[in-house]
Amino acid sequence: MSTVTENLYLLTPEFLLAALALLVFALDLVLPESRKTWLAWIGMAGLTALAIFSVRMLAGRTESLYGGLLAVDQFSLFFKVFFMGLGVFIILSSVDFVKQHLSHPGEFYGILLFSILGMNMMAQARELVTAYIALELLSFSLYVLTAYARGNPKSNEAALKYIIIGAFSTAVLLYGISMIYSVAGSTHFDALAETLSSPGQAGPVLWVGVAFLVAGLGFKLAAVPFHMWAPDVYEGAPLPVTAYLAIASKAGAAALALRLISEGLVPAREVWPHWQIILAALAAASMLVGNLVALAQRNLKRLMAYSSIGHVGYLLAGMAALNIGGGMAANGIIFYLVGYAATSLVVFAALISFFNQTGQEEIADLAGLADRQPLLAAAIAIGLFSLAGLPIFAGFTIKFYLFAAVAQGGFLWLAGLAIFSSLISLYYYLQVIRQMYIQPVPGTAPDASGHGEEPSHTASHGQAVAGHASETAAAALRTPTGMLLAVVVAGLVAVLALGVYPGPLLEAIERASQVILPGI
Amino acid sequence: MSLYLFALLAFLTLAGGLGVVSTRNVVHAALYLLLSLLAVAGIYLILFAEFLALVQVLIYGGAVVIVVLFAIMLTRSSEYPRISDNRQWPLALVAALGLLGVLAAAFLAAPIQITQLQSPDFTALSGSLFTKWAVPFEIASLVLLVALIGAIIIARAGKNER
Repeated sequence: MSTVTENLYLLTPEFLLAALALLVFALDLVLPESRKTWLAWIGMAGLTALAIFSVRMLAGRTESLYGGLLAVDQFSLFFKVFFMGLGVFIILSSVDFVKQHLSHPGEFYGILLFSILGMNMMAQARELVTAYIALELLSFSLYVLTAYARGNPKSNEAALKYIIIGAFSTAVLLYGISMIYSVAGSTHFDALAETLSSPGQAGPVLWVGVAFLVAGLGFKLAAVPFHMWAPDVYEGAPLPVTAYLAIASKAGAAALALRLISEGLVPAREVWPHWQIILAALAAASMLVGNLVALAQRNLKRLMAYSSIGHVGYLLAGMAALNIGGGMAANGIIFYLVGYAATSLVVFAALISFFNQTGQEEIADLAGLADRQPLLAAAIAIGLFSLAGLPIFAGFTIKFYLFAAVAQGGFLWLAGLAIFSSLISLYYYLQVIRQMYIQPVPGTAPDASGHGEEPSHTASHGQAVAGHASETAAAALRTPTGMLLAVVVAGLVAVLALGVYPGPLLEAIERASQVILPGI
Repeated sequence: MSLYLFALLAFLTLAGGLGVVSTRNVVHAALYLLLSLLAVAGIYLILFAEFLALVQVLIYGGAVVIVVLFAIMLTRSSEYPRISDNRQWPLALVAALGLLGVLAAAFLAAPIQITQLQSPDFTALSGSLFTKWAVPFEIASLVLLVALIGAIIIARAGKNER
């Protein structure tokens, strides 16, 4: 018994994170309504302190807890710090929004903290049941956060759809786990690899189980063909929650999938390589469908939803290319997650600032933003250029690194397809930038703005939608508030830094991926 | 003997499930669900999983179905439009049958291993639940906490709503 619990202290960061969330819940009861913002600051300070504490406590350690249920290693440490850092920025960009549009701020931050705990456990799990329950902690938190704008019917609809699809995908996932258990007799990732590669044991039941597992995770990642829920949920959820869904929940599921594939499927690659084909097919479908359907979107949140489906396609392509000694694909995936997170934070923080002031979220509403608020327009433009993968921004380096790894991993066609769909994505990102920089401010006559270009289809749509916009909405906007400005600036710095000088981060990422795919 | 018992219980489970999706009355659906859940508890008993059977009856058969029934009655189910057919049902039928085919083929192709069933010891079960599996167990309690708080937030009106 002592062998089971002797290194329990390695989970101190998780215990403290749970305590932090409970502290936020408890203080929420005592603090007066006017001081609820303190809870956000407590959450952010706690997360920052915990990230520093985790690094100091766990750097360089590789240990296994509870007979291989959990792994406290450099991989999980990297993701822990990544998730907690993301949490800080998401809270920072939610404070104004929560104050303006949502009630129950204390629970908002507390549940956000619990979801980060869920993601931390997902990055540490080496066993299916633990991974599943950690995923549930994340999912339940996200259901609640999606439903947070209670007065908004779209938020209610989104939450309902999300919870039903989520429950269904959980059932698929669990069914897959039960099939794997029935054959392997164990739910550990490495037992899966062992059973898959022993010819006497592996059979159709195990293969169907793995397929169900992939489908269940595909739902959570919103990979095509399991993506139908994403656009509706992204559109209905409160904007900071949309940002959180697009960035963090994907990163959490990707961390889980990375360890699962590296420990459970990669060792069986010689005997049963079919999982690579499944993942490659999902990747190709996600890239094409996500980016092609994004072309037709008029709502900014839906646009970001389809764009994020496309980005999941790139991540899945990297996962299909995972191989023993091929740490490059794992590095590429983690690097991509970080770069994508920084870029998306810039775009979403700018959109939140825009929404807080205008209440608008259609692409056409951005018309003339460059004149009304140059800083916001520039931030969104840089973010979108980076998402499209243009050089000197993070988007280029992460795509270059990941696609090169995919090509090296034997999926040249997939890398080609990824580059092709990146080009498609450039088109719809440019549409948004065109709205901001070329279209006139709605409400003013086109010739008065000095551009005088012929009215196009999007322009007439823009005027039809924004025609009823009030005088104040069309007027110049304020610069983002301090907190959102901080997120935008920090994100921009990260986007440029990763685009120009990614070396130090890549070293840390290499240390992380060495653990799950050792030996080069 | 246990084969006939299993056939009976499996039939009841499936009949209950079919009743849930085919009936047009929500209360009847909840009662069919109860039938299905209790039959599953019976299957657990045949497998000597007494603890699971007990939990199944107490939580699913008892608490969950009762809560569902209360919710239906308190929310005036008569005001809801009756469950209607979906135009996509032929497609769904094909998909469901296809999935059934794949699963049946997979399980029929698998070698049948006969193992001697034995009842797990309650003490051993709780022992492993609170030592080796303590972490997932604790996370499950956090999931429940989040679900509880979330349910209260969604059910309670706020001051600051748009």
